[in-house]
Amino acid sequence: MSLLTKSPGEAAARETPARRRRRRVDHLPYLLLLPCLAIIAVLLLWPLGQVVWMSFHKLDSVRQLRGDREWPWVGLANYAQILGDPFFRTVLRNTVLFALANVALTMILGTLVGLLLNRLGKKMVTFVASCVMLAWATPALTGTIVWKWIFDDTSGLVTWLFNKLPDGLSTALFGRSDWTGYGWFNDPLLFFAILTLVVVWHSFPFIAVSVLAGLKSVPTELQEAARVDGAGPWKVFWKVTFPMLRPVFGILVVLSTIWDFKVFTQQFVLAGGTQDRTTFMLSIYSYAEAFSPPPKYGLGSAIAVILTVILLVVTALYVRMVLKQEDE
Amino acid sequence: MNRWKRLAPVTAIVASAALVLTACGGSGDDDKAADNSKLTVWMMGEGGDAQTTFLDSVEAEFKKKHPETDVVVQYIPWLEAPKKFQAALAGGEGPDVTELGNTETQGWAAQEALADVSDKFNGWSEGKDILPDLVKNAQLDGKQYGVPWYAGVRAVYYRTDWFAEAGVKPPTNWDEMIAAAKAVQAKKPGTYGIALPGNSELPFYSFLWGAGGEIATKEGDSWKSGYNTPEAQKAVKFWTDLVTVHKVAPPAAAGWNEVDARTQFATGKAAMAFAGSWQGGAMKKDNPDIEKVWGTFPIPGPDGKPAPAFAGGSDIAIWKDSERQALAWDYMTVLLSKQKDKEFASSLGFFPVYQDLVSSGDYANDKVMAAFATAIQNTKLTPLTPKWVEVSRTKTVTQAMNSSVIKGQKTVEKATADAATEMEGILNSK
Repeated sequence: MSLLTKSPGEAAARETPARRRRRRVDHLPYLLLLPCLAIIAVLLLWPLGQVVWMSFHKLDSVRQLRGDREWPWVGLANYAQILGDPFFRTVLRNTVLFALANVALTMILGTLVGLLLNRLGKKMVTFVASCVMLAWATPALTGTIVWKWIFDDTSGLVTWLFNKLPDGLSTALFGRSDWTGYGWFNDPLLFFAILTLVVVWHSFPFIAVSVLAGLKSVPTELQEAARVDGAGPWKVFWKVTFPMLRPVFGILVVLSTIWDFKVFTQQFVLAGGTQDRTTFMLSIYSYAEAFSPPPKYGLGSAIAVILTVILLVVTALYVRMVLKQEDE
Repeated sequence: MNRWKRLAPVTAIVASAALVLTACGGSGDDDKAADNSKLTVWMMGEGGDAQTTFLDSVEAEFKKKHPETDVVVQYIPWLEAPKKFQAALAGGEGPDVTELGNTETQGWAAQEALADVSDKFNGWSEGKDILPDLVKNAQLDGKQYGVPWYAGVRAVYYRTDWFAEAGVKPPTNWDEMIAAAKAVQAKKPGTYGIALPGNSELPFYSFLWGAGGEIATKEGDSWKSGYNTPEAQKAVKFWTDLVTVHKVAPPAAAGWNEVDARTQFATGKAAMAFAGSWQGGAMKKDNPDIEKVWGTFPIPGPDGKPAPAFAGGSDIAIWKDSERQALAWDYMTVLLSKQKDKEFASSLGFFPVYQDLVSSGDYANDKVMAAFATAIQNTKLTPLTPKWVEVSRTKTVTQAMNSSVIKGQKTVEKATADAATEMEGILNSK
């Protein structure tokens, strides 16, 4: 927004022909946005509306989706059923705690790596940044399968490493010395820890590179001045760097929150499908209800709508915060 | 203001990258002409030379009557099948004839995916000899939606060489099974006595039935779960004690399915595994040498008699949306004829579905097949209701019950009581 329009005072100071040209250019951004909007409307808004519509119906046959059968209207019954189910509370708790932990860890690790990249020399920064970006570039599915092998109960790297520990030390710390056949994914807490590792590994490079881009675009004089005045690195970051980059951090937190709330692929692969119900989170819960036989598309849609509403609320709060700061 | 402006490009790039990343995905469609020149057949699994040769011979036979029709066989991996069926049903682009696991026929019939073949089946003379349990399993509300193609039961594969080294014989009851597992494990450190598929239900049912328990029985209009009974608790205790008390299977077994477990056996990490006769090929693929050192015995009951086995296998059905149903039935009668069924079953390690063929002496004399031939004499089925698939596949009630005990989250009493409540809730829902 602030990129394409100049402040009114500046524009008024120009001569008439220039102003006319400017007015014509004013429509251009909207024109350019149009194709993108059309695509979003077809690919995003239309299906979104359909999901909301479906959530008010009892849909349990594919033939209803095809239009061969009518859609019985049930009002809010699907929502009532989900919200009244104690299992939903477990799922919501899992989702919220997982998202909070992952957003925090991703932001911390990403920022630290971003600061590191900012300090490195030209050759080193290329090397480290490419290594880091490899993790980001790895498709979620491929990356997670590799992680699953790393934690394989018989021939995984982690199992092997733990077996290499001196028996006495291993027994003292964990109460066992033989790790072959240990179920890494058996305990829900351990499962979530591994899932967190995989998700953070996948998402911190994006934060790191974005923070680096932010750091490159703000003047370094202020930081130098602060350093000259005797501020330590901790103080420089919180008193100078962070306030300057607040908008970047704002949008990164929003994006991370959205991504971590709807983690699906990694969980689906690590848990081996939709069998481990104790570790369900909202997105896999929605998928399992909707598509596992017998299908319950209405119920699944209602869960998806609840997830969307939560995300919209979170996003709206952040956007408001960012806009408020802009006004200051 | 100034600061915000300077950061705007970064923010814009971040935001647009996010948009691009979220807007991925797509779908592909296959084309199919609506005429009689082509008959599409879906087969489950990965296929293989033996199956291709067999299906070619079926097509040659079928072409004698319909020379103008081309039979196109497509293989669908077992685990992909539900998604593929659902997509075909939603898009209206399905096969004409399909194979499907016999536990799934009722569910798909309830979803109106399959054509009612009652009249065609009743008018087909060879069909009268098919094992009645298997025929019943392909019915919904008294109508026939599929025809059994082949049958399979599970038994125990074991390492003959390790058993000999440890000086134990194939067990015939539960105590002997534990003793054998412990003996072999002691002799072969680093291996498991039993590769327990803790996250699978079908091998477990043999122990449930062997102990005299039932999954669920219909009383009047409502289903009653048998998991609350002492018999069922005895079976759950035996199954989970293998990990928690006798330690002849590892804790990770709580998450193993049958493929995971049989791979442990095939790759020389376990002395025993539950598998169907048709899985021998896959195990040989993992390790060609395993064939020299394997043997089989029927899953034992607690008291010395073989336990009942689940009557698994595949059905062949006609897709409801097919425009060539008469043609499809002609293909099915060739594929399912007694002669072809015998050929197919013997080439792939299955049993034919015809009573007279199963009881013939050929199988009893085979080193590996003899145990399966014994097991198939005494089979049982999972509850015959379209709701069963939700208990079995979606809520995985039995698997969750056993896993929770193995993982130490619940006692046997609590796990069985919870499972019984959940199962009755699903089976009796309106």
